[in-house]
Parts: sequence; structure tokens; C-alpha cells
Amino acid sequence: MPVYRTNRHAESYGQSVGILLLDAHMPFPPGDVANASTYRYPVVYRIVSGLATDVCLNGAPEFAGAIADAARELARQGVRGISSDCGFMLQYQQAAADAVDVPVAMSSLLQLPLIERSVGPGRPIGILTADSGNLSEDFLERAGIKPRNPIIIRGMQDEPEFHSSILDPKGTMDTDLINEETVAKARAIKEEHADLGAILLECSLMPPYAAAVQEAVGVPVFDFVSLIDYMQAGTSPRRYQGFM
Amino acid sequence: MPVYKMLPRADAYGYCVGILLLDVRQPFVPGDVGNATSYDYPVLYRTVPGATPERVFVGDPELNDAVIETAQELQAQGVKGISSDCGFFINFQDLLAEAVDVPVFLSSLLQLPLVSSFLGRDQTLGVLTANSTALGNQVLELSGISPERELVIRGMQDNPHWNAAFKDPAEVVDTDLIEREVIAEAMALRESSPRLGAIVLECSLMPPYASAVHEATGLPVYDFMSVINLFQRATHQKPYQGYY
Repeated sequence: MPVYRTNRHAESYGQSVGILLLDAHMPFPPGDVANASTYRYPVVYRIVSGLATDVCLNGAPEFAGAIADAARELARQGVRGISSDCGFMLQYQQAAADAVDVPVAMSSLLQLPLIERSVGPGRPIGILTADSGNLSEDFLERAGIKPRNPIIIRGMQDEPEFHSSILDPKGTMDTDLINEETVAKARAIKEEHADLGAILLECSLMPPYAAAVQEAVGVPVFDFVSLIDYMQAGTSPRRYQGFM
Repeated sequence: MPVYKMLPRADAYGYCVGILLLDVRQPFVPGDVGNATSYDYPVLYRTVPGATPERVFVGDPELNDAVIETAQELQAQGVKGISSDCGFFINFQDLLAEAVDVPVFLSSLLQLPLVSSFLGRDQTLGVLTANSTALGNQVLELSGISPERELVIRGMQDNPHWNAAFKDPAEVVDTDLIEREVIAEAMALRESSPRLGAIVLECSLMPPYASAVHEATGLPVYDFMSVINLFQRATHQKPYQGYY
């Protein structure tokens, strides 16, 4: 057993990933980025005060400083990596990454270049987002992600249960209904693009539906949790106990 | 239970990832890409006939057909994605991604852009490779890494125990001695660049030492297994069973 030292900034220890949260209140079911039982490792959450969902989705560069401060605070607490619970926090990726020494993965969308590479040139990638009115290729490019493949962006903003649970939260969330709405959107992409290479789920509320989307559409599905798990694995590499 | 369809060319079912192997005879220890116990899921191996390290290092176009045929055979066996056991198979990445329907992720180097995106602008990214003379700018460019990211690179080619493991056939691999060599090279990487933010291990023989490299350097370490695990996850999404 090694000798351990006090970290005077830490309230507790062993928190693997620190996750910055929108200032928004709605149910976060299992599989959501903001549900701690989604992970096989401990995570710690911090709300970014004032950063409401619509503020973030519409773009709010004035919050970059608050994001950087919150990331620094989590890093001081000892987390080994930093993420967020909104794909649109891509706009703060650079600000957060510049603020701390640990790796930062603020948005599921960071996976796009690697996904494109794996399906080959020319094959379309579908992105399902909370709000296609705000997610444009321009938004991606401003964050340094220049799509090479055709990108099909579809939003959930007009789906009744998604809208009333998440974008204008009524305090309940019927996950069976949102599952149906999400799967229907994914199916529509596949019907229009038979050679669809993969689907990327932008929104942190979508991982609970990733398995159903995959079963319905039959292509690889990347989501927010696949990114956080990837980042986390690198910050705590495993030892192997196999045989030859 | 659903209705299942026969795959006309499958010998068995349930393999998640197909892995192309170099045509060499070496001991692949637990944690190596070429050891089936390194995974929490079943993988299927096929050797690419004639794919010696020398030919794969330079991307010999005479191997193109063998790479494609071996990958197509794996796809016919039902695998949901294709990887390899050498980072230099990146030379065949785009060729193969076009030739098969499932996602292709042949090299640990493909994650360089993603890991780079996790870092601050003033941080550097380390690469530890089997052979730093073979890892020229041309191969690095294939990874898609931005020229703006400062890379620091070291190779294992001058380490005697490492080289003994690389003989063909190699009969004995002393993993304790190799671990010391890998740690020494990783520490040299770190000393050469005080702003090192993460280390990427190129070689499929290196994941057994990722944990030791992390402990010695204190840095996040991404290896071949990181890439394979990310794609396995995206091609086999599972429902969540958490709490609320």
C-alpha cells in the first residue's frame, strides 16, 4: 500500500470524471450522462450556474470563463478527466481544455472525425440532436470539426415528449415515448440514406435509446457515454489478468 | 427471442470484432491485441498472408488484395468491425474502409486527432511507437492529426528485450524487462516535453504496459485497446440497468 497525501481542495476522493451540468432541471434516467449509475466508475457533477439549456443551444460565448473556472475547480478536486452533459458545450471545448491539465471531452460530437474515418469516404453519417435549428456544419467548423463525409442532421425539437420533457421540461419524462420518437427519427435517416455509415447521438439524454436505435437501424451508434468511457479508460488504464 | 438468419459463410457466431494479424509468430501476452483474453467480448483473428512488419510499415501496395480479402472473410463470418494488430496498418485504412460495410479501425494512430482534441493548445502529445524511424511524417499525416499539435515521438527500436520480442519467430518475451524499457522511454518522452498532456501507444504489443506507463508518468495513456473497445461499444450498444 502506498503513502497517500491530502488534497486540500478535495471534498472526497476517487472521482474519476468531473461533469459540468447545464443549469436545467428534468429527470435524468439511467443511461443519461447526468445519472451516476450510467458509469462503472465514480463521477462528480457541478452545475454551471445560469447556463440554461436554451442559452447553451443558442450559443453563449460569455459563459466560457465560467466553464473554465468550473473545470479548474473539478480538476483541483482530483478528477482525471472533464466532460459535460450537453453536446452543444462543444463551443467551450477549447476554453475548458486550455484551463486544465487533465483531458477534456465536452461533447459527443468530438467523435465525428474518427467515425468518418472508420466508415470510409463518402458514406453519410447521421447526427441526431436535441435541436437541429442550432446544430449546423458551421457550428461544428467553428469548433474545429470540419466534416469530410455527408452529414445528415436531424433534430428532436418538434417531437412532443422530447420537447415537453427536455427543451421545455414539465417535470416528468416518459422514456418509452422518447424511445419511439428517437427510433423513428433514426429510421427516417436510414430510409433516406441506405448507405448510412453510422449514427452519432449528440444529446446527453440520448444514450438510454442507443441500443434501440442500433437494433432498428443496424449501424454503429456512438453517443455521449461512449466518448466519456473512452476518455476515462485512458486516465485509468487497466492491468490484464489473462493467459496465453 | 427474435428470429435469427443464417450467415452462409459463418463457422460460428457472436464474434464482435475481427482482427487482421501480421504474418509473424510471436508470443502475444495478455493485454496484447493478439491475445483473446485482452477483451471482455469475443474477437476473431485472421492472418493476412505475406503481411510482414517490413511490408506493413511501408504500406506495400502488393498487400492490398490480401488485406481486403482477409477483411472480407472476417466480415462474412459476422464481425461488426475490423481492426488489426499493427499500428502501421493505418497505411491500408482508407482502402479497406471503402472495401467493407462494417467500420474499420486498423490503427491506434487513428485516435491521435481525438486525443489531441482533449488537450489544451499549449500541451504536447506523446507517441511511443515500436519504431520511430518508420513512423515518419507520411504515416502521421494518415492519422489526420492537425499540424498545429506539437508531437513528441520516441521509438522502442534500440531496446534489446523489446527487440527480442519482435523477432520472428520470437520464442520468449520477458514482460518484466520489457516493462522497464517501455517505462524508461515514456519517462524520456515526459522529460523531453514538460507540457506533455497524454501519451498514445502505437504498437499492439504495448497495452500490457499502459498501466505501468500511466503510473510512472501520471499521464493519460491511450492505446490500441482504447480504439478497439470504443468501436466494439458503438457496434454493440446495450440497454442501461441503473438506478434513479
